[in-house]
Amino acid sequence: MRKPTDRNSPWLAASGCILSVIVALIVQASPARLVDGLTIMPTWTLMAIFLWSGVRPQFMPPIAVFAIGLTQDLLTGAPMGVWALSYLVSISAFRFRGEDGMPRDMPPVLLRFGATLLLAHAIAFAAGSFALEQLADFQPLVIEVMASILMFPLPAYLVLRRRRSRGSGFIGG
Amino acid sequence: MASRRSTRQDGEHGVRFSRTLFIALLVVSGALIAFDRPASRSAPFASFRAGFTDVSAPLLDLAAQPLRGIKNIGPYWRRQGELARENARLRQQLIEARYWEDLAYRQRDRIEVYEDALDVESAAIEDRIGAWTVADPRGPFVRARLIGRGSEAGIRDGYPVINLYGLVGRVYETGRRSARVLLLTDLNSRVPVMADRSNARAILVGDNSEFPRLDYVGRAPDIEPGDRIVSSGDDGILPRGLPIGEAVATREGGWRVRLYSDQAPVDFVWVWPYHRVTPPDPETEPGPDGLAGAGFVDGAVPAAATDTTASETAGEAVDDAGVDGVATDDDTTEGGR
Repeated sequence: MRKPTDRNSPWLAASGCILSVIVALIVQASPARLVDGLTIMPTWTLMAIFLWSGVRPQFMPPIAVFAIGLTQDLLTGAPMGVWALSYLVSISAFRFRGEDGMPRDMPPVLLRFGATLLLAHAIAFAAGSFALEQLADFQPLVIEVMASILMFPLPAYLVLRRRRSRGSGFIGG
Repeated sequence: MASRRSTRQDGEHGVRFSRTLFIALLVVSGALIAFDRPASRSAPFASFRAGFTDVSAPLLDLAAQPLRGIKNIGPYWRRQGELARENARLRQQLIEARYWEDLAYRQRDRIEVYEDALDVESAAIEDRIGAWTVADPRGPFVRARLIGRGSEAGIRDGYPVINLYGLVGRVYETGRRSARVLLLTDLNSRVPVMADRSNARAILVGDNSEFPRLDYVGRAPDIEPGDRIVSSGDDGILPRGLPIGEAVATREGGWRVRLYSDQAPVDFVWVWPYHRVTPPDPETEPGPDGLAGAGFVDGAVPAAATDTTASETAGEAVDDAGVDGVATDDDTTEGGR
């Protein structure tokens, strides 16, 4: 008997995954400061990685997480490897395990994302400081973490709602 | 089979997680961090990054288009009431600017006469290259912006980048169709500057704050709050006199600079092709007049014709008399630090 997740088209889901990650990367690097009053940028990329690794873990193997982090490094001008390493370690440490993958309730998802976010930024701070040979700027990291915590419930709600309506762990198809 | 299972973890909806691959990627990440350091980036890394930005720049430019549209909406509705007053103020400034324009033309003519008399050539001033900002990441590691033009438009590493109000930074990674601009606020930014009023020298050091600090100002610097800070050109990389900002005293007794370029979002910028001043070759035989023959390199200002020599920047002891009487003992001492 096929699993419920296999009933949906994997190509559509894969397209959704790739598209959402590309959009997140572009928005992350976009000149948001052009817009008055909008200088705060949450880590959309980490949100996309986290949610997709929860609902479709096969789309987020370590090599994909590494590639996304490396792309962000190159787009934002950061030393290569900083975000690649931080995403790789944090997602591997806090990804959802077990048969059901990501739960359908909001609180555990929020808690786990918060832990992932903090670990990712702590690693990025340490690795970035090492690469720069001086302490990296702490304030933007804190602002980024705060903005991400505030913004994450919205995409998480949309994903969980779709998961509940589908009655499966699948999203995107 | 047992050894295969020992390196893989199954049971997550059929997802296989290779520990070997994970460890390999960790090692690769660590190696990249160790070798791709902004302060000493090797040529292969730099060209790879430039190539990547070339590929991504058109996509980022496309994504920036709606943001530019949004940018104009907010100020338009918010500032309707202010527009009339602003218009009147601008008209007044235009009248005053005409006087300065006339003065500038006269000064240019005088300088040309002096240069002819001294038989020196000024640094060639080429047309500025306009470019849009296509990416503006506000990360903790680098304060840089990506612009949508590169070496195909004549942009090279080190060229100064200015906006309507003043110096924004300089180009430090050039691809064919894109370039990355290191902002004055970045941790790695160091620009020799001077106070326009007193010619007091200093180094403008970025520290990721909005107000970069002035270092190496000496024990009793002749700087006052509100002094106009401009580039001194002592490094030979940036031309002299580019407006940078205003001096601001800190509570700790130091000095910082309120950047002119921050008066507006850095959206459209100009890259100024400026040929850096190359120091004279120390081994060149002196000419018949006893002067070193070097100094005119690629049509640039000869080193001896600039206010300060490149060796001063390098920290060597220089004779103050050769520095148009502006530099003091403090300056040379500070420069050597």
